[in-house]
Amino acid sequence: MKRIVSGNQAIALGALRAGVKLVSGYPGTPSTGCVTHLLTMELPDRHVEWSTNEKVAFEIAAGAAWAGHRAMCTMKMSGVNVAYDALISIAYSGTNGGLVVYVADDPGVSAGMAEQDSRGFALMSYLPMLEPASPAEAYELAGTAFELSEAVGSPILIRLTTSIALSHAGVEIEQPVPPREIKPILEKDITRYTKAGSAICRQQHQSLIDRLEQASEWVHQRGLNRLELAGEPGGLGVIAAGAVNAYLPEAIALAEGMRLDDVSTLRLKTTIPFPWEETNQLLGHCGTILVLEELEPHVERAAHVAARQLGFDGPIVGKMDGTLSPIGELGVAEIVKGLASATGSSPTRESQHAILGHASGDGTSRGAEVLSAPRPITVCAGCPHRGTYLAIEAAIERAGYSKDNVMVTGDIGCTILGMNPPFDLLWNEVSMGSSVSLAQGYVHAGIDTPVIATIGDSTFFHGGIAGLINAIQHRVPLTLVVMDNGWTAMTGMQVNPGTDAAFQERGRRIDLEQVVRGLGPDSVAVVDPYDLEGATDAIAKSLGTAGGVHVVLAQRECAIQAARRGIRYGTTTVDPETCILCKKCLRVTGCPALSMASPPEELGESPEDDSPGRQHIEIDASLCNGCGVCVSFCPTSALKRAPKEASE
Amino acid sequence: MSFDIVLVGVGGQGVLTIGELLFHAAFDADMPASLTPTKGMAQRGGFVKVELRLGREGAGPRIGERAADLVVGMERSEAIKGIPYAKQDGTFVLFDHVWEPTGVMLGTDAYPALDDVTDAIREATSNVVILNPADVPCVDGRAVPANVYVLGAILGQSALGERLDPEIVERILSDRWPKAADSNCVAFRAGLASGELALGEFLRTSPDGELRGGEQ
Repeated sequence: MKRIVSGNQAIALGALRAGVKLVSGYPGTPSTGCVTHLLTMELPDRHVEWSTNEKVAFEIAAGAAWAGHRAMCTMKMSGVNVAYDALISIAYSGTNGGLVVYVADDPGVSAGMAEQDSRGFALMSYLPMLEPASPAEAYELAGTAFELSEAVGSPILIRLTTSIALSHAGVEIEQPVPPREIKPILEKDITRYTKAGSAICRQQHQSLIDRLEQASEWVHQRGLNRLELAGEPGGLGVIAAGAVNAYLPEAIALAEGMRLDDVSTLRLKTTIPFPWEETNQLLGHCGTILVLEELEPHVERAAHVAARQLGFDGPIVGKMDGTLSPIGELGVAEIVKGLASATGSSPTRESQHAILGHASGDGTSRGAEVLSAPRPITVCAGCPHRGTYLAIEAAIERAGYSKDNVMVTGDIGCTILGMNPPFDLLWNEVSMGSSVSLAQGYVHAGIDTPVIATIGDSTFFHGGIAGLINAIQHRVPLTLVVMDNGWTAMTGMQVNPGTDAAFQERGRRIDLEQVVRGLGPDSVAVVDPYDLEGATDAIAKSLGTAGGVHVVLAQRECAIQAARRGIRYGTTTVDPETCILCKKCLRVTGCPALSMASPPEELGESPEDDSPGRQHIEIDASLCNGCGVCVSFCPTSALKRAPKEASE
Repeated sequence: MSFDIVLVGVGGQGVLTIGELLFHAAFDADMPASLTPTKGMAQRGGFVKVELRLGREGAGPRIGERAADLVVGMERSEAIKGIPYAKQDGTFVLFDHVWEPTGVMLGTDAYPALDDVTDAIREATSNVVILNPADVPCVDGRAVPANVYVLGAILGQSALGERLDPEIVERILSDRWPKAADSNCVAFRAGLASGELALGEFLRTSPDGELRGGEQ
């Protein structure tokens, strides 16, 4: 049946079609939708989970695959960095059941953190990687990945890029297949499952190389990489990898008139293993080669190697000659540009539009953007982090410092939004959990102001806890503020170890406070971010104490999640008569529920509705949850908060 | 025939919903379609872009610059980010809603004047439709959903109405929100008919009342 699915959902459904037994992952845009989709389904006999981090997730999947089942693990590109320790090691051991890792890369960085090309990881660990160019291909290749994995005994990577992971299209979806009914394999073989000694490791290295060789043959037999030779020898040959293939016909149509009648193409679904045979044929037939791939020039480098071996001396156009950029997405405009460069022809009028509009950043198409007002991302109305940022800022001042000379390290997730106005509080964002360890480095460097680290709950469980253990062991004086809102929020509200028991799928809740106390820091304070005074006192006390590791747990549920269950903490109102429009509430909190009441004429109402020109602060009652954080900043007490009992 | 649409606005305006409804209408009509939302990290209040490609089998999800048959800007300032996608002979629909970021309210950042935005749009494309939020009708004293009004307007005032049957879109709309069917229907039909008022709108939103080129 044809259904509307996203690329993420297509991977999930393709895995179900392949009889996957277990799917694990850690949330990360743009890959999150895969596991999220599976968790909405009733899947008897299968296990689906959000794991503590990507390394844990991958090891769980590998264990199931070693025991003979089909298993999949999902993550964003940065997640591969975390999982890679296990991934490369398990690559050397190989697998029994199909083991597939779905990774989403983000050329153009519209969703995340880094323009990181995960093909580099595949290259280093000799792991075959499939690169679908559409949701339909994602569905199909998810199944292919399991087949290939079992055919050669290797984990397989499947890689989508943001636009494909998040795009929706109609895809023919078949019935899911239940996991195979097998007795789990218990194979005791230290030569395969351990790294015990040089002989074993060298043998595993050989097996690793052999598996990629077999995968290369399998991919060739399957015809996954499609070569189409056209015209007389000596013409243009295009090698396009993964996502780029979806734009190739459109670009060639646009480039009409560029003498493109005889263009030969090699359309790749795999960069690793590299299709040497097809490439050699293309080089043998063509006089010029254009390589089209997003991010790093992996295919292009291999094409140069093939050219050297074959004695091909025509031009190879791509990124290494500067025609195309390794930065950003590669769409129709870039392909047209590449075609024009490779054919030495000037682009047609229409195609020139595409190139000009995009690549040159010229004044006509992008020039107007300076007019648009900056819209920095801030935390939501009622977000508990707002109170925590303001309390940290107040505590820094109370301790006699300014936020401009106190290092406050940041971490991944919603908590990093404190780097933006109006808070401008956080100095850095590196990787999951790095706030706690970076802070220790600053302390050892000898800076004479207190050092504060900030981290969210999911990030703490994922990677922060090891840093805290280190700080406590080595007696590194610092204050760690854990901003615990009970959810993995920025990726769209996933369950993490600390999430309330009522929302744990089949698991149980880990008490973050008990975990921290168990590690034995010099002090632990639990505060409510909505209680600015209390939170400020606790943080200021930590800053004023010489030495020791101090942990402040700022606990309050994510406002979005609470609002979804209808939770409001009170009603905050503005008295228009008392409001002097000093805008202090807006300036200090930046809360999206606060705005200035528009002059009546802008609303299209008659001016009699209100006294003309009398502006005041207004609260959007549909956004405000009555947290009351703004109230304490109002100099005329125009902002008032009625606690929940008094409201409605 | 292919038809590429870029919608831009602020998260919370229902930009994605417009894209989804059109996408479902295309799917129901067996038209190849691809829908790609792009939103930043904000849960609400950030820049949102939706790319909708109709009638292209197997095409990639992104729409190139100067390639969109229709660009819809749902908020005056964010609409500017849609201008690079406008095709010279396509249509640009600006719903002139003003959603000031905090920096503008505090007086630290500037917010664009309507004239400057429309001038920039006219440099990119010749067919410009400006919708005034004040024309969104009310039912029982409450404004109907503005995004549904815009949805009707883009079907009524661009070539999209020739590709997708407005009746199908209206049916999908009422199937999806049966309880709000009445007010959505008022919004949708008012939008669909908005073209008949287009000249009046323009005169109202242009302070000097002077009709400029490219409007016809």
